[in-house]
Amino acid sequence: MPCANCFELPDELALSFLEALGLAGGVDVLLSAKGRHVSFLAGLGPKDELVVRASTSREELERFLFADNRPTVGFLGYEYGLRRLGLASAKDSDFPLGHLKKYETYLLYEAGCVRLVGQARLDGRVAALLERAAEAAAKTAESPAARGSARKESARAEGLGRLVSASLDRQAYEAAVRQAQERIRDGDTYQLNLSIRFTAEAKGLDAYGLFLDLARRHPASYYGYFESGPFRVVSTSPERFMRVRDGQVLSQPIKGTKHLDARFGDREAAGAEQALRTSAKEDAELSMIVDLVRNDISAHCEFGSVRVENHKSVFRVDNLLQMHSDVTGRLKPGSTVLDLLLDAFPPGSVTGCPKKRSCEIIDSLEPHSRNVYCGTLLAIYGRRDMDSSVAIRTGFLDTGAGFFHFYAGSGIVMDSSPSCEYAETLAKAEKFLQLLGGGE
Amino acid sequence: MHILLVDNEDSFTRNLEHLLAVTTGRAPEVLPYALFQTDLTAECDMLVISPGPGHPREYPAYAPLFTSREQGQPDKPVLGVCLGMQIINECLGGRTERLHGCVHGKAEEIGFLGRRERVARYHSLHVTKLGDGLEALAATDKGVAMALRHRHRPFLGYQFHPESFLTENGEAFIRHALRELL
Repeated sequence: MPCANCFELPDELALSFLEALGLAGGVDVLLSAKGRHVSFLAGLGPKDELVVRASTSREELERFLFADNRPTVGFLGYEYGLRRLGLASAKDSDFPLGHLKKYETYLLYEAGCVRLVGQARLDGRVAALLERAAEAAAKTAESPAARGSARKESARAEGLGRLVSASLDRQAYEAAVRQAQERIRDGDTYQLNLSIRFTAEAKGLDAYGLFLDLARRHPASYYGYFESGPFRVVSTSPERFMRVRDGQVLSQPIKGTKHLDARFGDREAAGAEQALRTSAKEDAELSMIVDLVRNDISAHCEFGSVRVENHKSVFRVDNLLQMHSDVTGRLKPGSTVLDLLLDAFPPGSVTGCPKKRSCEIIDSLEPHSRNVYCGTLLAIYGRRDMDSSVAIRTGFLDTGAGFFHFYAGSGIVMDSSPSCEYAETLAKAEKFLQLLGGGE
Repeated sequence: MHILLVDNEDSFTRNLEHLLAVTTGRAPEVLPYALFQTDLTAECDMLVISPGPGHPREYPAYAPLFTSREQGQPDKPVLGVCLGMQIINECLGGRTERLHGCVHGKAEEIGFLGRRERVARYHSLHVTKLGDGLEALAATDKGVAMALRHRHRPFLGYQFHPESFLTENGEAFIRHALRELL
């Protein structure tokens, strides 16, 4: 061990380590994979919890988050954001509006080192658990045949069954796109995100195994696994909502998508990237959301501090090229990350603009609740430190009903082709759809 | 200087608030449209009507600001942005209709006071008939009104968005409005 409460673990063993750790149960994880480099924050043994309900006030949230120095991990759902905007959806759902937890033990993994956070030293029980997990991870590495293990097979082959429903079929989705465009012509919205909820049979699905399986096969920056009552959230998002480090705010909205053929080489990918950057439609979509995010972080940023950087950057994830920008600002001295988060919620890249009326229209066009989808998974470290994702490419297992629900959507603008937006939505759902045997 | 910025539930109002604060050196007071009444303008030097969704006829609370005053009663200076400009025009008897094709999130050069200025456009509707006393101060190359002012009264509107990051000289448009209106 090179340092107290810390031991080395190669990047390639990080997921196997998490897998072994998960056998003990009660683990929530936020995981990031960029190239070969993996980092995660795992919470073991929830100690204090706040299930967010309609009656939960901002003050209650603040008391929970900042009562002590322990980090908080959890999620806020899209419908919590609707309530913040003064809109309450009439759709029934027993999924919580949000859920936040503090833990007995926190493990932070970065730069090849597992470290205990917020504890003076390892206690014997946790030390033994970590030792077993590290040994199991090493064994997996020695035996490539065992990689993926029975757990992964159960997630793919047995756990997930057929797709039983999609909240909007092709015809209904395309009709909703045309209705959205009519509302754009009326000036009610400039851009509107429209999603589909897919539901698959999932009796006996090991959601944690599914989470790790997806993380192995489709690494992305904002993976999350979170247990909330009978629900198991599996998030595989490529999009950061907001990060705050010592009061320095960064939001990285994504807009503009191009589907890549998996067989594309670097040259074809470079051509597709150029096409994405120079598309007037995609440019306008991103610009709108950048202005919206500037607006949303401005509520709690110092005057004159809000900037746009790296406009129209492109990255590749899940055979998709995605365009994004960095919006930065300086948190006002009297404001906290909770103030910033709540006044910018739900994330603008998954609502539309202007946000409130766009959300009203979304609620009328989508037959489903979004629940955790289009909300945020987050870790809050203190009044001026936080990281959070936009919960897209996200689903959840309902262990009671035995269904896995996942969602995907697309931003609709005036130039949108309904059939192309439907195809884009399916492309974004692909990583879940292919687990069901190839999609629709 | 005390500026009252009325928010029509738009998602760019805070951008406008920051631009006004940076340009004037003082934060404007921001008020939601739902709480707006014209007598609240008594204490402010200028009223700014924000962008927002929908048609100007959905915002009747502004109408009394534009009815003719009795002699000796000065008008309250008003700057309208996007929907705000359309509200000024509609309250003075103008008309607003759908813009064929709509333009959202696009920067475009327009002629403004003899200069070419790159500005951000976000609008589905446009002014098709000018209200009483209004004249066009700027238009796109295709003739879509981009700025209106009243010939004798302190009313000015920008159809484009000076607060957008796509507008190159946002502060200059606010300074122009202050010179024109105050």
